Amino acid sequence: MNQELLQKLSECVEFGKINLASPYPPNMKGQPGADEYAKEALDAGAQPSEILDELVTAMGKVGQKFTENKIFVPQMLLSAKAMSAAMMHLKPFFASGAVQRKGTFIIGTVFGDLHDIGKNLVAMMVEGAGWEVIDLGIDVKIEKFVEAVQQHPEAVVGVSALLTTTMVNIKPVIEAVKAASPDTKIIVGGAPLSAEFAVSIGADAYGKTPQDDIVWLDTLIA
Amino acid sequence: MKTWIDSILVSKQRIALPIMTHPGIEAIGKTVKEAVSDGQVHYEAIKAVSEQFSMSACTSIMDLTVEAEAFGATINLPDNEVPTVTGRLVSDAASIAALEVPSLDKGRVPAYLLANKLAAANITDKPLFSGCIGPFSLAGRLYDMSEIMVGIYIEPDAINELLAKCTQFLIDYCLALKAAGTQGVVMAEPAAGLLSNEDCQAYSSEYVKQIVGAVQDDNFTVILHNCGNTGHCTEAMVTTGARALHFGNKIDMVQALNDCPADVIVMGNLDPVGVFKQGDPDSVYKQTKTLLEKTAAYANFVISSGCDIPPHAANANIEAFFSAVKNYNEGR
Ligand code: B12
Repeated sequence: MNQELLQKLSECVEFGKINLASPYPPNMKGQPGADEYAKEALDAGAQPSEILDELVTAMGKVGQKFTENKIFVPQMLLSAKAMSAAMMHLKPFFASGAVQRKGTFIIGTVFGDLHDIGKNLVAMMVEGAGWEVIDLGIDVKIEKFVEAVQQHPEAVVGVSALLTTTMVNIKPVIEAVKAASPDTKIIVGGAPLSAEFAVSIGADAYGKTPQDDIVWLDTLIA
Repeated sequence: MKTWIDSILVSKQRIALPIMTHPGIEAIGKTVKEAVSDGQVHYEAIKAVSEQFSMSACTSIMDLTVEAEAFGATINLPDNEVPTVTGRLVSDAASIAALEVPSLDKGRVPAYLLANKLAAANITDKPLFSGCIGPFSLAGRLYDMSEIMVGIYIEPDAINELLAKCTQFLIDYCLALKAAGTQGVVMAEPAAGLLSNEDCQAYSSEYVKQIVGAVQDDNFTVILHNCGNTGHCTEAMVTTGARALHFGNKIDMVQALNDCPADVIVMGNLDPVGVFKQGDPDSVYKQTKTLLEKTAAYANFVISSGCDIPPHAANANIEAFFSAVKNYNEGR
Protein backbone atom coordinates (compact mmCIF):
# COMPACT_ATOMS: atom_id res chain seq x y z
CA MET A 1 0.00 0.00 0.00
CA ASN A 2 2.67 2.47 1.07
CA GLN A 3 4.91 1.29 -1.68
CA GLU A 4 2.21 1.99 -4.22
CA LEU A 5 1.62 5.49 -2.87
CA LEU A 6 5.32 6.24 -2.87
CA GLN A 7 5.56 5.02 -6.44
CA LYS A 8 2.68 7.34 -7.43
CA LEU A 9 4.31 10.24 -5.59
CA SER A 10 7.55 9.61 -7.41
CA GLU A 11 5.77 9.63 -10.78
CA CYS A 12 4.01 12.89 -9.94
CA VAL A 13 7.34 14.55 -9.19
CA GLU A 14 9.05 13.12 -12.24
CA PHE A 15 6.28 14.26 -14.58
CA GLY A 16 5.38 17.53 -12.85
CA LYS A 17 1.92 16.71 -11.47
CA ILE A 18 1.69 19.25 -8.64
CA ASN A 19 -1.76 18.63 -7.19
CA LEU A 20 -5.30 17.56 -8.02
CA ALA A 21 -6.16 21.00 -9.41
CA SER A 22 -3.25 21.20 -11.84
CA PRO A 23 -4.23 20.22 -15.38
CA TYR A 24 -0.65 19.18 -16.18
CA PRO A 25 0.38 16.70 -17.47
CA PRO A 26 -2.74 16.20 -19.60
CA ASN A 27 -2.74 12.41 -19.17
CA MET A 28 -2.90 12.83 -15.37
CA LYS A 29 -5.58 15.52 -15.39
CA GLY A 30 -8.22 15.07 -12.67
CA GLN A 31 -5.93 12.77 -10.67
CA PRO A 32 -4.27 13.52 -7.34
CA GLY A 33 -0.79 15.05 -7.47
CA ALA A 34 2.37 15.09 -5.38
CA ASP A 35 0.60 17.21 -2.77
CA GLU A 36 -2.18 14.68 -2.15
CA TYR A 37 -0.03 11.55 -2.43
CA ALA A 38 2.53 12.86 0.07
CA LYS A 39 -0.22 13.47 2.61
CA GLU A 40 -1.87 10.15 1.90
CA ALA A 41 1.43 8.31 2.27
CA LEU A 42 2.07 9.95 5.64
CA ASP A 43 -1.46 9.15 6.78
CA ALA A 44 -0.94 5.56 5.71
CA GLY A 45 2.10 5.37 7.96
CA ALA A 46 4.98 5.94 5.56
CA GLN A 47 8.09 7.29 7.24
CA PRO A 48 8.90 10.93 6.41
CA SER A 49 12.44 9.84 5.57
CA GLU A 50 11.10 7.31 3.04
CA ILE A 51 9.14 10.10 1.39
CA LEU A 52 12.17 12.35 1.32
CA ASP A 53 14.22 9.58 -0.31
CA GLU A 54 11.53 9.12 -2.92
CA LEU A 55 11.57 12.85 -3.73
CA VAL A 56 15.34 12.92 -3.96
CA THR A 57 15.37 9.99 -6.39
CA ALA A 58 12.63 11.47 -8.56
CA MET A 59 14.33 14.88 -8.74
CA GLY A 60 17.57 13.13 -9.64
CA LYS A 61 15.85 11.64 -12.69
CA VAL A 62 14.44 15.05 -13.63
CA GLY A 63 17.86 16.67 -13.35
CA GLN A 64 19.34 13.96 -15.53
CA LYS A 65 16.72 14.49 -18.26
CA PHE A 66 17.38 18.25 -18.20
CA THR A 67 21.13 17.70 -18.46
CA GLU A 68 20.49 15.49 -21.49
CA ASN A 69 18.24 18.18 -23.07
CA LYS A 70 15.26 15.80 -22.96
CA ILE A 71 13.12 18.31 -21.08
CA PHE A 72 13.05 22.12 -21.04
CA VAL A 73 12.97 24.74 -18.29
CA PRO A 74 9.15 24.66 -17.86
CA GLN A 75 9.02 20.88 -17.35
CA MET A 76 11.83 21.07 -14.82
CA LEU A 77 10.13 23.88 -12.91
CA LEU A 78 6.87 21.90 -12.86
CA SER A 79 8.66 18.91 -11.34
CA ALA A 80 10.28 21.19 -8.81
CA LYS A 81 6.88 22.65 -7.90
CA ALA A 82 5.48 19.15 -7.45
CA MET A 83 8.45 18.29 -5.24
CA SER A 84 7.89 21.43 -3.15
CA ALA A 85 4.21 20.61 -2.72
CA ALA A 86 5.14 17.23 -1.28
CA MET A 87 7.94 18.73 0.80
CA MET A 88 5.44 21.04 2.53
CA HIS A 89 4.03 17.99 4.32
CA LEU A 90 7.49 17.11 5.61
CA LYS A 91 8.17 20.55 7.09
CA PRO A 92 6.80 19.70 10.55
CA PHE A 93 9.14 16.68 10.72
CA PHE A 94 12.13 18.80 9.77
CA ALA A 95 11.18 21.33 12.43
CA SER A 96 10.83 18.69 15.12
CA GLY A 97 14.08 17.05 14.12
CA ALA A 98 12.34 13.75 13.30
CA VAL A 99 13.87 13.94 9.84
CA GLN A 100 17.31 15.35 9.23
CA ARG A 101 18.15 17.32 6.16
CA LYS A 102 21.63 17.21 4.75
CA GLY A 103 22.32 20.83 5.63
CA THR A 104 21.43 24.37 4.71
CA PHE A 105 22.13 25.99 1.35
CA ILE A 106 21.87 29.74 0.91
CA ILE A 107 21.55 30.92 -2.69
CA GLY A 108 21.07 34.23 -4.47
CA THR A 109 21.72 36.04 -7.74
CA VAL A 110 24.51 38.57 -7.25
CA PHE A 111 23.74 42.30 -7.04
CA GLY A 112 23.18 44.05 -10.36
CA ASP A 113 21.81 40.88 -11.90
CA LEU A 114 18.13 40.04 -12.25
CA HIS A 115 18.35 36.71 -14.06
CA ASP A 116 16.79 34.09 -11.82
CA ILE A 117 15.58 31.14 -13.84
CA GLY A 118 18.86 29.24 -13.49
CA LYS A 119 19.18 30.19 -9.82
CA ASN A 120 15.62 29.01 -9.15
CA LEU A 121 16.33 25.69 -10.82
CA VAL A 122 19.44 25.18 -8.72
CA ALA A 123 17.54 26.12 -5.53
CA MET A 124 14.75 23.67 -6.27
CA MET A 125 17.06 20.85 -7.29
CA VAL A 126 19.16 21.27 -4.15
CA GLU A 127 16.01 21.27 -2.05
CA GLY A 128 14.94 18.17 -3.91
CA ALA A 129 18.27 16.59 -3.03
CA GLY A 130 17.45 16.87 0.65
CA TRP A 131 18.83 20.24 1.69
CA GLU A 132 17.09 23.13 3.34
CA VAL A 133 17.31 26.03 0.93
CA ILE A 134 17.25 29.71 1.77
CA ASP A 135 16.65 31.67 -1.40
CA LEU A 136 17.74 35.29 -1.08
CA GLY A 137 16.32 36.19 -4.48
CA ILE A 138 17.87 38.42 -7.15
CA ASP A 139 20.06 41.51 -7.05
CA VAL A 140 21.37 40.35 -3.65
CA LYS A 141 23.68 42.82 -1.97
CA ILE A 142 26.85 41.79 -0.13
CA GLU A 143 25.37 42.59 3.29
CA LYS A 144 22.42 40.31 2.67
CA PHE A 145 24.68 37.32 1.98
CA VAL A 146 26.73 38.13 5.09
CA GLU A 147 23.65 38.47 7.27
CA ALA A 148 22.26 35.15 6.05
CA VAL A 149 25.55 33.40 6.81
CA GLN A 150 25.64 34.92 10.28
CA GLN A 151 22.16 33.58 10.92
CA HIS A 152 23.08 30.15 9.55
CA PRO A 153 26.77 29.64 10.32
CA GLU A 154 26.79 26.01 9.06
CA ALA A 155 25.27 26.87 5.73
CA VAL A 156 26.90 26.48 2.33
CA VAL A 157 26.53 29.45 -0.04
CA GLY A 158 25.73 29.50 -3.77
CA VAL A 159 26.01 32.60 -5.93
CA SER A 160 24.61 32.94 -9.45
CA ALA A 161 25.45 35.47 -12.18
CA LEU A 162 24.33 35.55 -15.81
CA LEU A 163 26.03 38.73 -16.99
CA THR A 164 29.68 39.35 -17.68
CA THR A 165 29.17 42.72 -16.05
CA THR A 166 27.88 41.16 -12.82
CA MET A 167 30.04 38.05 -12.52
CA VAL A 168 32.79 40.34 -11.23
CA ASN A 169 30.47 41.29 -8.37
CA ILE A 170 30.78 37.78 -6.97
CA LYS A 171 34.34 38.33 -5.76
CA PRO A 172 33.46 40.99 -3.17
CA VAL A 173 30.61 38.76 -1.97
CA ILE A 174 33.03 35.88 -1.42
CA GLU A 175 35.52 38.17 0.34
CA ALA A 176 32.88 39.57 2.67
CA VAL A 177 31.36 36.17 3.47
CA LYS A 178 34.78 34.63 4.13
CA ALA A 179 35.78 37.62 6.27
CA ALA A 180 32.69 37.14 8.41
CA SER A 181 32.86 33.36 8.41
CA PRO A 182 36.18 31.90 7.17
CA ASP A 183 34.96 28.29 7.10
CA THR A 184 31.92 28.91 4.94
CA LYS A 185 32.09 27.08 1.61
CA ILE A 186 30.97 28.89 -1.53
CA ILE A 187 29.97 27.56 -4.94
CA VAL A 188 29.37 29.78 -7.93
CA GLY A 189 27.55 29.23 -11.21
CA GLY A 190 25.83 30.80 -14.20
CA ALA A 191 26.35 30.72 -17.95
CA PRO A 192 29.33 33.11 -18.34
CA LEU A 193 31.35 31.58 -15.49
CA SER A 194 34.00 28.90 -15.73
CA ALA A 195 35.97 26.74 -13.34
CA GLU A 196 39.05 28.93 -13.86
CA PHE A 197 37.07 32.07 -13.12
CA ALA A 198 35.70 30.47 -9.95
CA VAL A 199 39.22 29.71 -8.76
CA SER A 200 40.40 33.23 -9.60
CA ILE A 201 37.78 34.84 -7.37
CA GLY A 202 38.36 32.50 -4.46
CA ALA A 203 35.27 30.31 -4.74
CA ASP A 204 35.47 26.78 -3.37
CA ALA A 205 33.68 25.27 -6.36
CA TYR A 206 32.05 25.93 -9.69
CA GLY A 207 28.88 24.23 -10.89
CA LYS A 208 27.90 24.17 -14.53
CA THR A 209 24.61 22.49 -13.71
CA PRO A 210 22.46 21.90 -10.62
CA GLN A 211 23.68 18.29 -10.69
CA ASP A 212 27.28 19.46 -10.28
CA ASP A 213 26.17 21.47 -7.29
CA ILE A 214 24.41 18.52 -5.67
CA VAL A 215 27.35 16.20 -6.21
CA TRP A 216 29.73 18.76 -4.70
CA LEU A 217 27.43 19.42 -1.73
CA ASP A 218 27.35 15.69 -1.04
CA THR A 219 31.15 15.62 -0.87
CA LEU A 220 31.01 18.23 1.90
CA ILE A 221 28.94 16.02 4.17
CA ALA A 222 30.51 12.71 3.23
CA MET B 1 11.47 47.59 -46.71
CA LYS B 2 10.97 44.75 -49.10
CA THR B 3 13.18 46.60 -51.54
CA TRP B 4 16.02 46.72 -49.01
CA ILE B 5 15.44 43.08 -48.10
CA ASP B 6 15.30 42.08 -51.75
CA SER B 7 18.47 44.00 -52.47
CA ILE B 8 20.24 41.92 -49.80
CA LEU B 9 19.09 38.71 -51.44
CA VAL B 10 20.51 39.65 -54.84
CA SER B 11 23.63 41.51 -53.70
CA LYS B 12 26.98 39.77 -53.64
CA GLN B 13 28.12 42.16 -50.94
CA ARG B 14 27.70 41.06 -47.34
CA ILE B 15 25.68 43.53 -45.29
CA ALA B 16 26.74 44.24 -41.68
CA LEU B 17 24.12 45.13 -39.12
CA PRO B 18 25.40 44.85 -35.57
CA ILE B 19 22.82 45.75 -32.94
CA MET B 20 24.42 48.65 -31.16
CA THR B 21 23.74 52.08 -29.77
CA HIS B 22 25.98 52.18 -26.69
CA PRO B 23 29.06 53.41 -28.62
CA GLY B 24 26.88 56.33 -29.79
CA ILE B 25 25.75 57.14 -26.26
CA GLU B 26 29.39 57.11 -25.16
CA ALA B 27 30.49 59.21 -28.17
CA ILE B 28 28.10 62.05 -27.32
CA GLY B 29 29.11 61.94 -23.66
CA LYS B 30 25.72 61.00 -22.25
CA THR B 31 24.67 58.34 -19.76
CA VAL B 32 22.54 55.32 -20.59
CA LYS B 33 19.88 56.78 -18.30
CA GLU B 34 19.76 60.01 -20.30
CA ALA B 35 19.56 58.14 -23.59
CA VAL B 36 16.73 55.84 -22.51
CA SER B 37 14.72 58.68 -20.98
CA ASP B 38 15.18 61.53 -23.46
CA GLY B 39 14.16 61.09 -27.10
CA GLN B 40 16.49 63.80 -28.35
CA VAL B 41 19.55 62.24 -26.66
CA HIS B 42 18.52 58.79 -27.89
CA TYR B 43 18.33 60.10 -31.45
CA GLU B 44 21.72 61.80 -31.20
CA ALA B 45 23.23 58.52 -30.02
CA ILE B 46 21.82 56.65 -33.02
CA LYS B 47 23.12 59.38 -35.32
CA ALA B 48 26.58 59.24 -33.74
CA VAL B 49 26.85 55.47 -34.29
CA SER B 50 25.60 55.86 -37.82
CA GLU B 51 28.26 58.46 -38.62
CA GLN B 52 31.12 56.77 -36.83
CA PHE B 53 30.84 53.29 -38.34
CA SER B 54 29.98 51.86 -41.76
CA MET B 55 26.58 50.70 -40.63
CA SER B 56 24.34 49.37 -43.40
CA ALA B 57 21.35 50.21 -41.25
CA CYS B 58 20.78 51.67 -37.79
CA THR B 59 18.97 50.30 -34.79
CA SER B 60 17.48 52.11 -31.83
CA ILE B 61 18.31 51.14 -28.23
CA MET B 62 17.46 47.57 -27.22
CA ASP B 63 15.63 48.39 -24.03
CA LEU B 64 13.47 45.56 -22.78
CA THR B 65 11.70 47.66 -20.14
CA VAL B 66 9.80 50.38 -22.04
CA GLU B 67 6.77 48.23 -22.76
CA ALA B 68 6.57 46.71 -19.27
CA GLU B 69 6.85 50.18 -17.77
CA ALA B 70 3.95 51.36 -19.94
CA PHE B 71 1.85 48.56 -18.42
CA GLY B 72 2.74 49.86 -14.96
CA ALA B 73 5.77 47.78 -13.94
CA THR B 74 8.31 49.50 -11.69
CA ILE B 75 11.61 50.29 -13.37
CA ASN B 76 15.09 50.76 -12.04
CA LEU B 77 17.12 53.24 -14.13
CA PRO B 78 20.83 53.05 -13.30
CA ASP B 79 23.04 55.76 -14.80
CA ASN B 80 25.19 53.53 -16.90
CA GLU B 81 23.50 50.18 -17.24
CA VAL B 82 20.42 49.20 -19.19
CA PRO B 83 17.22 49.67 -17.17
CA THR B 84 15.58 46.75 -15.41
CA VAL B 85 12.09 45.78 -14.26
CA THR B 86 11.67 45.17 -10.54
CA GLY B 87 8.91 43.14 -8.95
CA ARG B 88 5.88 41.49 -10.40
CA LEU B 89 2.89 43.37 -11.81
CA VAL B 90 0.36 40.55 -12.25
CA SER B 91 0.19 37.24 -10.43
CA ASP B 92 -3.11 35.49 -11.16
CA ALA B 93 -6.15 35.31 -13.41
CA ALA B 94 -7.88 38.17 -11.58
CA SER B 95 -5.00 40.64 -11.85
CA ILE B 96 -4.52 39.68 -15.50
CA ALA B 97 -8.21 40.27 -16.21
CA ALA B 98 -7.96 43.69 -14.54
CA LEU B 99 -4.82 44.68 -16.45
CA GLU B 100 -5.44 47.42 -18.98
CA VAL B 101 -3.70 47.64 -22.33
CA PRO B 102 -1.88 50.97 -21.95
CA SER B 103 -2.12 53.85 -24.38
CA LEU B 104 1.01 55.13 -26.10
CA ASP B 105 1.42 58.14 -23.82
CA LYS B 106 2.55 56.02 -20.85
CA GLY B 107 6.04 55.95 -19.31
CA ARG B 108 8.89 56.44 -21.74
CA VAL B 109 6.92 55.40 -24.84
CA PRO B 110 6.65 59.03 -26.06
CA ALA B 111 10.42 59.47 -25.67
CA TYR B 112 11.05 56.32 -27.74
CA LEU B 113 8.61 57.42 -30.43
CA LEU B 114 10.31 60.82 -30.58
CA ALA B 115 13.77 59.26 -30.94
CA ASN B 116 12.57 57.05 -33.78
CA LYS B 117 10.83 59.94 -35.50
CA LEU B 118 13.89 62.19 -35.31
CA ALA B 119 16.19 59.42 -36.50
CA ALA B 120 13.93 58.46 -39.39
CA ALA B 121 13.64 62.10 -40.48
CA ASN B 122 17.33 62.95 -40.21
CA ILE B 123 19.23 59.78 -41.06
CA THR B 124 18.14 59.36 -44.63
CA ASP B 125 21.00 57.43 -46.20
CA LYS B 126 20.19 54.08 -44.59
CA PRO B 127 17.26 52.22 -43.08
CA LEU B 128 16.46 52.57 -39.38
CA PHE B 129 15.09 49.67 -37.40
CA SER B 130 13.22 50.37 -34.19
CA GLY B 131 13.26 48.00 -31.25
CA CYS B 132 10.62 46.36 -29.10
CA ILE B 133 10.25 43.33 -26.84
CA GLY B 134 8.40 40.19 -27.96
CA PRO B 135 5.02 39.15 -26.52
CA PHE B 136 6.18 36.16 -24.44
CA SER B 137 9.15 38.03 -22.97
CA LEU B 138 6.92 41.01 -22.17
CA ALA B 139 4.35 38.77 -20.50
CA GLY B 140 7.19 37.16 -18.52
CA ARG B 141 8.38 40.54 -17.31
CA LEU B 142 4.87 41.33 -16.06
CA TYR B 143 4.08 37.91 -14.56
CA ASP B 144 7.59 36.82 -13.45
CA MET B 145 9.74 34.88 -15.86
CA SER B 146 9.98 31.63 -13.88
CA GLU B 147 6.28 31.68 -13.00
CA ILE B 148 5.17 32.14 -16.59
CA MET B 149 7.22 29.10 -17.55
CA VAL B 150 4.95 26.94 -15.39
CA GLY B 151 1.94 29.22 -15.88
CA ILE B 152 1.64 28.13 -19.51
CA TYR B 153 0.86 24.64 -18.19
CA ILE B 154 -1.13 25.24 -15.06
CA GLU B 155 -2.99 28.43 -15.96
CA PRO B 156 -2.95 28.44 -19.75
CA ASP B 157 -6.15 30.49 -20.12
CA ALA B 158 -4.91 33.32 -17.92
CA ILE B 159 -1.51 33.33 -19.65
CA ASN B 160 -3.14 33.42 -23.08
CA GLU B 161 -5.23 36.39 -21.95
CA LEU B 162 -2.06 38.14 -20.77
CA LEU B 163 -0.32 37.34 -24.06
CA ALA B 164 -3.28 38.74 -25.99
CA LYS B 165 -3.01 42.01 -24.04
CA CYS B 166 0.74 42.21 -24.60
CA THR B 167 0.19 41.53 -28.30
CA GLN B 168 -2.44 44.25 -28.59
CA PHE B 169 -0.06 46.76 -27.05
CA LEU B 170 2.83 45.66 -29.25
CA ILE B 171 0.68 46.05 -32.37
CA ASP B 172 -0.23 49.60 -31.33
CA TYR B 173 3.40 50.38 -30.50
CA CYS B 174 4.78 48.94 -33.75
CA LEU B 175 2.18 50.80 -35.80
CA ALA B 176 3.29 54.03 -34.09
CA LEU B 177 6.95 53.22 -34.83
CA LYS B 178 5.98 52.60 -38.42
CA ALA B 179 4.16 55.94 -38.52
CA ALA B 180 7.34 57.52 -37.13
CA GLY B 181 8.91 56.53 -40.42
CA THR B 182 11.23 53.64 -39.54
CA GLN B 183 11.75 50.67 -41.84
CA GLY B 184 11.00 47.95 -39.37
CA VAL B 185 11.44 46.68 -35.86
CA VAL B 186 13.86 44.30 -34.14
CA MET B 187 11.59 42.34 -31.82
CA ALA B 188 13.51 40.75 -28.94
CA GLU B 189 11.95 37.52 -27.74
CA PRO B 190 14.78 35.91 -25.70
CA ALA B 191 12.65 34.12 -23.12
CA ALA B 192 10.80 32.12 -25.78
CA GLY B 193 14.08 30.37 -26.50
CA LEU B 194 13.83 28.56 -23.18
CA LEU B 195 10.68 26.77 -24.37
CA SER B 196 10.43 23.64 -26.49
CA ASN B 197 9.64 24.21 -30.16
CA GLU B 198 6.01 23.29 -29.53
CA ASP B 199 5.60 25.71 -26.62
CA CYS B 200 7.54 28.44 -28.42
CA GLN B 201 5.06 28.00 -31.25
CA ALA B 202 1.98 28.18 -29.01
CA TYR B 203 3.06 30.92 -26.58
CA SER B 204 5.29 33.10 -28.70
CA SER B 205 5.06 32.49 -32.45
CA GLU B 206 1.26 32.51 -32.62
CA TYR B 207 1.27 35.98 -31.08
CA VAL B 208 4.26 37.25 -33.06
CA LYS B 209 2.39 36.11 -36.16
CA GLN B 210 -0.50 38.42 -35.25
CA ILE B 211 1.87 41.36 -34.88
CA VAL B 212 3.59 40.53 -38.18
CA GLY B 213 0.18 40.33 -39.85
CA ALA B 214 -0.81 43.74 -38.52
CA VAL B 215 2.39 45.68 -39.16
CA GLN B 216 4.67 44.05 -41.73
CA ASP B 217 4.56 45.11 -45.38
CA ASP B 218 6.99 45.99 -48.17
CA ASN B 219 8.15 49.05 -46.26
CA PHE B 220 8.19 47.70 -42.73
CA THR B 221 10.03 44.50 -41.78
CA VAL B 222 9.75 42.56 -38.56
CA ILE B 223 13.18 41.22 -37.52
CA LEU B 224 12.45 38.56 -34.90
CA HIS B 225 15.34 38.15 -32.47
CA ASN B 226 15.61 35.12 -30.20
CA CYS B 227 18.96 34.69 -28.46
CA GLY B 228 17.65 31.91 -26.21
CA ASN B 229 17.26 29.56 -29.18
CA THR B 230 20.02 26.97 -29.27
CA GLY B 231 18.69 25.50 -32.51
CA HIS B 232 15.68 23.70 -31.09
CA CYS B 233 12.97 26.27 -31.91
CA THR B 234 13.99 27.73 -35.25
CA GLU B 235 10.98 26.06 -36.87
CA ALA B 236 8.65 27.98 -34.56
CA MET B 237 10.46 31.23 -35.38
CA VAL B 238 10.04 30.64 -39.13
CA THR B 239 6.26 30.19 -38.84
CA THR B 240 5.81 33.76 -37.59
CA GLY B 241 6.15 35.08 -41.12
CA ALA B 242 8.76 37.63 -40.05
CA ARG B 243 10.85 38.53 -43.10
CA ALA B 244 14.01 38.51 -41.06
CA LEU B 245 15.16 36.30 -38.18
CA HIS B 246 17.98 37.26 -35.85
CA PHE B 247 19.92 34.66 -33.83
CA GLY B 248 22.12 34.77 -30.73
CA ASN B 249 25.55 33.30 -30.20
CA LYS B 250 24.18 30.10 -28.66
CA ILE B 251 23.21 28.80 -32.10
CA ASP B 252 25.28 27.28 -34.88
CA MET B 253 24.78 29.92 -37.59
CA VAL B 254 25.12 27.49 -40.48
CA GLN B 255 22.56 25.19 -38.94
CA ALA B 256 20.19 28.17 -38.51
CA LEU B 257 20.71 29.11 -42.17
CA ASN B 258 19.92 25.56 -43.21
CA ASP B 259 16.77 25.57 -41.09
CA CYS B 260 15.41 28.82 -42.59
CA PRO B 261 13.84 29.34 -46.03
CA ALA B 262 16.13 31.07 -48.54
CA ASP B 263 13.85 34.10 -48.91
CA VAL B 264 13.99 34.93 -45.20
CA ILE B 265 16.87 37.15 -44.10
CA VAL B 266 18.92 35.38 -41.44
CA MET B 267 21.04 37.48 -39.10
CA GLY B 268 23.60 36.75 -36.43
CA ASN B 269 25.55 35.91 -34.36
CA LEU B 270 28.96 37.07 -33.06
CA ASP B 271 29.03 36.98 -29.26
CA PRO B 272 28.36 40.56 -28.09
CA VAL B 273 30.35 40.01 -24.92
CA GLY B 274 32.92 37.31 -25.65
CA VAL B 275 33.84 38.77 -29.05
CA PHE B 276 32.97 42.48 -29.08
CA LYS B 277 33.48 43.44 -25.47
CA GLN B 278 36.16 41.10 -24.19
CA GLY B 279 38.04 40.46 -27.41
CA ASP B 280 40.78 42.55 -29.00
CA PRO B 281 40.76 43.92 -32.56
CA ASP B 282 42.75 40.95 -33.77
CA SER B 283 40.40 38.33 -32.39
CA VAL B 284 37.31 40.27 -33.49
CA TYR B 285 38.73 40.46 -37.02
CA LYS B 286 39.46 36.73 -37.08
CA GLN B 287 36.11 35.64 -35.70
CA THR B 288 34.23 37.94 -38.07
CA LYS B 289 36.20 36.58 -41.00
CA THR B 290 35.60 32.98 -39.93
CA LEU B 291 31.86 33.52 -39.67
CA LEU B 292 31.75 35.24 -43.07
CA GLU B 293 33.62 32.36 -44.66
CA LYS B 294 31.43 29.70 -43.09
CA THR B 295 28.28 31.44 -44.32
CA ALA B 296 29.57 32.45 -47.75
CA ALA B 297 27.17 30.19 -49.63
CA TYR B 298 24.03 31.80 -48.21
CA ALA B 299 22.70 34.87 -50.04
CA ASN B 300 20.20 35.57 -47.25
CA PHE B 301 22.80 36.02 -44.51
CA VAL B 302 23.43 39.35 -42.78
CA ILE B 303 26.31 39.44 -40.33
CA SER B 304 25.43 40.85 -36.92
CA SER B 305 26.11 40.62 -33.22
CA GLY B 306 24.19 37.87 -31.41
CA CYS B 307 22.50 40.48 -29.25
CA ASP B 308 22.86 44.11 -28.25
CA ILE B 309 26.53 45.11 -27.91
CA PRO B 310 26.86 46.10 -24.24
CA PRO B 311 28.21 49.41 -22.89
CA HIS B 312 31.99 49.96 -23.05
CA ALA B 313 32.93 47.73 -25.97
CA ALA B 314 36.12 49.23 -27.47
CA ASN B 315 35.66 51.19 -30.69
CA ALA B 316 38.74 49.46 -32.09
CA ASN B 317 36.90 46.14 -31.79
CA ILE B 318 33.89 47.44 -33.67
CA GLU B 319 36.16 48.91 -36.32
CA ALA B 320 37.89 45.53 -36.66
CA PHE B 321 34.49 43.96 -37.29
CA PHE B 322 33.69 46.42 -40.07
CA SER B 323 37.12 46.12 -41.59
CA ALA B 324 36.79 42.32 -41.74
CA VAL B 325 33.45 42.75 -43.54
CA LYS B 326 34.96 45.32 -45.93
CA ASN B 327 37.94 43.14 -46.80
CA TYR B 328 35.70 40.15 -47.28
CA ASN B 329 33.43 42.10 -49.63
CA GLU B 330 36.36 43.32 -51.70
CA GLY B 331 37.25 39.74 -52.39
CA ARG B 332 33.73 38.76 -53.57
C1 B12 C 1 15.82 34.78 -20.15
C2 B12 C 1 16.89 35.83 -20.34
C3 B12 C 1 16.61 37.12 -19.88
C4 B12 C 1 15.35 37.46 -19.11
C5 B12 C 1 15.61 37.15 -17.62
C6 B12 C 1 14.40 36.67 -16.88
C7 B12 C 1 14.73 36.12 -15.54
N1 B12 C 1 13.87 36.39 -14.60
O1 B12 C 1 15.71 35.44 -15.30
C8 B12 C 1 15.25 39.01 -19.40
C9 B12 C 1 14.50 39.23 -20.70
C10 B12 C 1 14.58 39.83 -18.31
C11 B12 C 1 16.73 39.34 -19.61
C12 B12 C 1 17.28 40.59 -19.37
C13 B12 C 1 18.60 40.91 -19.68
N2 B12 C 1 19.52 40.09 -20.29
CO1 B12 C 1 19.24 38.22 -20.55
N3 B12 C 1 19.07 36.44 -21.15
C14 B12 C 1 18.13 35.56 -20.98
C15 B12 C 1 18.53 34.25 -21.73
C16 B12 C 1 17.74 34.19 -23.04
C17 B12 C 1 18.32 32.96 -20.95
C18 B12 C 1 18.89 32.91 -19.52
C19 B12 C 1 18.30 31.74 -18.79
O2 B12 C 1 17.42 31.89 -17.97
N4 B12 C 1 18.72 30.52 -19.14
C20 B12 C 1 18.15 29.27 -18.62
C21 B12 C 1 18.80 28.87 -17.32
C22 B12 C 1 18.22 27.55 -16.87
O3 B12 C 1 20.18 28.71 -17.55
P1 B12 C 1 21.29 29.45 -16.64
O4 B12 C 1 20.75 30.70 -16.11
O5 B12 C 1 22.57 29.46 -17.37
O6 B12 C 1 21.45 28.47 -15.39
C23 B12 C 1 21.97 27.17 -15.48
C24 B12 C 1 23.47 27.10 -15.19
O7 B12 C 1 24.18 28.25 -15.56
C25 B12 C 1 23.56 26.79 -13.75
N5 B12 C 1 23.58 27.86 -12.75
C26 B12 C 1 23.03 29.08 -12.77
N6 B12 C 1 23.23 29.72 -11.62
C27 B12 C 1 23.93 28.90 -10.82
C28 B12 C 1 24.39 29.06 -9.52
C29 B12 C 1 25.10 28.03 -8.92
C30 B12 C 1 25.57 28.18 -7.53
C31 B12 C 1 25.35 26.83 -9.66
C32 B12 C 1 26.12 25.75 -9.03
C33 B12 C 1 24.88 26.69 -10.96
C34 B12 C 1 24.17 27.71 -11.54
O8 B12 C 1 22.41 26.00 -13.51
C35 B12 C 1 21.32 26.40 -14.36
C36 B12 C 1 20.57 25.18 -14.82
O9 B12 C 1 21.34 24.33 -15.62
C37 B12 C 1 20.07 34.48 -21.96
C38 B12 C 1 20.62 33.89 -23.26
C39 B12 C 1 20.95 32.46 -23.14
N7 B12 C 1 20.59 31.74 -24.14
O10 B12 C 1 21.51 32.03 -22.13
C40 B12 C 1 20.18 36.01 -21.97
C41 B12 C 1 21.46 36.67 -21.48
C42 B12 C 1 21.93 36.00 -20.21
N8 B12 C 1 21.02 38.03 -21.20
C43 B12 C 1 21.89 38.94 -21.53
C44 B12 C 1 21.71 40.34 -21.38
C45 B12 C 1 22.81 41.22 -21.94
C46 B12 C 1 20.57 40.84 -20.74
C47 B12 C 1 20.24 42.34 -20.53
C48 B12 C 1 21.39 43.23 -20.09
C49 B12 C 1 19.57 42.77 -21.85
C50 B12 C 1 19.17 44.22 -21.97
N9 B12 C 1 19.76 44.87 -22.97
O11 B12 C 1 18.35 44.70 -21.23
C51 B12 C 1 19.17 42.26 -19.42
C52 B12 C 1 19.83 42.31 -18.03
C53 B12 C 1 18.94 42.52 -16.88
C54 B12 C 1 19.74 42.35 -15.60
N10 B12 C 1 20.31 43.42 -15.05
O12 B12 C 1 19.90 41.27 -15.10
C55 B12 C 1 23.14 38.31 -22.13
C56 B12 C 1 24.32 38.31 -21.17
C57 B12 C 1 25.61 38.58 -21.90
C58 B12 C 1 26.72 38.56 -20.93
N11 B12 C 1 27.52 37.49 -20.98
O13 B12 C 1 26.89 39.45 -20.15
C59 B12 C 1 22.62 36.90 -22.54
C60 B12 C 1 23.68 35.77 -22.50
C61 B12 C 1 22.08 37.06 -23.96
C62 B12 C 1 23.16 37.39 -24.98
N12 B12 C 1 23.60 36.44 -25.79
O14 B12 C 1 23.61 38.49 -25.10
N13 B12 C 1 17.42 38.23 -20.02
